[in-house]
Amino acid sequence: MLRIEKVSKDLGDFVLRDVSLEVGNGEYLVIIGPTGSGKTILIETIAGIYASDEGRIFLDGREITREVPRNRKVCMVYQDYMLFPHLSVKENIAFGLKSRKASSGEIEKKVAEASELLGISHLHHRRPETLSGGEQQRVAIARAIVMEPVVMLLDEPLSALDGLTREKLRRELRRIHEVYGTTIIHVTHNFEEVFSLADRVAVMNEGEIVQVGTPEEIFRRPNCEMIANFVGVENIFRGVTSERPGLIEIEVDGLKIVSAATEIGDGDGNDGGDGDGDDGGEDKRGSRVGREVFASVRPEDILISNVPLESSARNSFHGRVEEIADCGMMVKVWVDVGIPFMVMLTRRGYEEMEFAEGDHVYLTFKATAVHIF
Amino acid sequence: MWLKVTTIGASLILAAFILIVLLLVLSYSPPEIFLESLRSEEIQFAIALSLKTAVASTILCLLIAVPAAYALARYEFLGKSVANTLLDMPLALPPLVAGVGLLLFFGTSLPGRELAEAGLVFVFTPLGIVVAQFFVNMPFMLRVMRSTFEGISPRYEYVAKTLGCTDAQALWRVTLPMASNGLLTGSVITWSKGIGEFGAVLMLAGATRMKTETLPTSLFLNMSCGKLDEAISVATILILISAVSLYVFERRGGGLRL
Repeated sequence: MLRIEKVSKDLGDFVLRDVSLEVGNGEYLVIIGPTGSGKTILIETIAGIYASDEGRIFLDGREITREVPRNRKVCMVYQDYMLFPHLSVKENIAFGLKSRKASSGEIEKKVAEASELLGISHLHHRRPETLSGGEQQRVAIARAIVMEPVVMLLDEPLSALDGLTREKLRRELRRIHEVYGTTIIHVTHNFEEVFSLADRVAVMNEGEIVQVGTPEEIFRRPNCEMIANFVGVENIFRGVTSERPGLIEIEVDGLKIVSAATEIGDGDGNDGGDGDGDDGGEDKRGSRVGREVFASVRPEDILISNVPLESSARNSFHGRVEEIADCGMMVKVWVDVGIPFMVMLTRRGYEEMEFAEGDHVYLTFKATAVHIF
Repeated sequence: MWLKVTTIGASLILAAFILIVLLLVLSYSPPEIFLESLRSEEIQFAIALSLKTAVASTILCLLIAVPAAYALARYEFLGKSVANTLLDMPLALPPLVAGVGLLLFFGTSLPGRELAEAGLVFVFTPLGIVVAQFFVNMPFMLRVMRSTFEGISPRYEYVAKTLGCTDAQALWRVTLPMASNGLLTGSVITWSKGIGEFGAVLMLAGATRMKTETLPTSLFLNMSCGKLDEAISVATILILISAVSLYVFERRGGGLRL
């Protein structure tokens, strides 16, 4: 277990104030917060890059506050990869084992294992600068994981990648976490990574940890305005999937929401980089049904009406207006249809509708408006 | 339109002027005379002494200016900005003045005399040539390496340290190999400037024939006693060395600022 006790660090531009945090063995903790909130300096302090000004850090009961980085059993992966450009891919992955003076047999074995897991064995003889961003990040992760660290620190590991690559690598991170059982602390500002990866989330702002909890707690019950604004997501629900022809149905507290999403987590069809795309069919079907997922609907994608709408939209619910908030150009309306929805209307649309708090209304939205992750 | 024509004209005329000056030196004496003077004992001595002292002063720069450049690029410390300015000072200083200063230091100051007592005599010796070249050219190495180190993210070292390296190993296994272009460029510049250094060398080491006679000194001595063929031959050698080092610099260190 990693225990951080009241750690403070002042680097001038970035500060850490009285941070306390516990991370259990094998846990996947995501630290989320706006730019400049001190996320990176927190993990660099855990890695021992900086000595903390105050406070103490323990790893598995051993105090490591003043320990040098190489004796901490903590590895680090940065957003911009930091692969050593003068070494080949294989030499990069073997770098740490060589510093540790591992035998060449052991180096070969561990490098081969990690490379296979990440699908980069064919890149061994290439130079880092000839690789794509996704490949470079896989090499950086392999370079860290061969050290079998007790804690692996990831500093926005997916932020520099394009959408599809990011999605793929995100799944791979989860797999690595399962295979190696390493404790992972992952820094990001992307809330989707929180839902798909985190066991727990810590929210940071201005050098402090402002909330720690499960992803659901953080997004459903943010404990301060900053978090609510930062996460900025309404209408997030946790539910269980079942399948309808060509669609996915999510049951949330007895309410059935239909989504046109074609993929959930690892149900994505083109997994070229994994190297084993042939076990698809049955597995995928299995993975689409009976899984716990999160679904979200953007407030502006929901239509509100006084009578049921005749339309092709798959989702239509009847509920009661709980609250109306006037935000100038836009009006926010909270409607309880068994679960609480927030709907965003233009002022003009709202004035034409003529409804008040307590009135009964209908909510309608398309299956394509339901985002699953 | 006229602006374009005049500025392009200026650059072309300037380039042509430099070319003419170089060609005049190179074509002054026929190749046979150049080859014959290469065989003279005096010029062979000058070539050997120049090569040796320039290599020695370049190594000295690597050993001292590279660590200093690393500190200036990586750490914050008291007196850093003063050190930065002072370390660049020899660049702005006329080499003759630097030479006078060195002469006073090694000739009259206490540490200078102690060194001489201990057998390290710098005044009017080849050792003085090395020190004079080092003093005047160290800023080139420093500037090249400072900007090279500044261009390498310290995060490479952070990663190396979490991968089992000590601070020194991270520098040795990661940062220095990544700085290899800068090291090569800095060495070539320092070396070729060292070969051409005259003013400071003249002041500290003197111009003794067959003793402290480097290539520039030889050019000066031969010119002043009217041995034009020998003087021009030495000038030709110096031009060739400059051309080669300019080529290496452009090839490997194109992106570095001085």
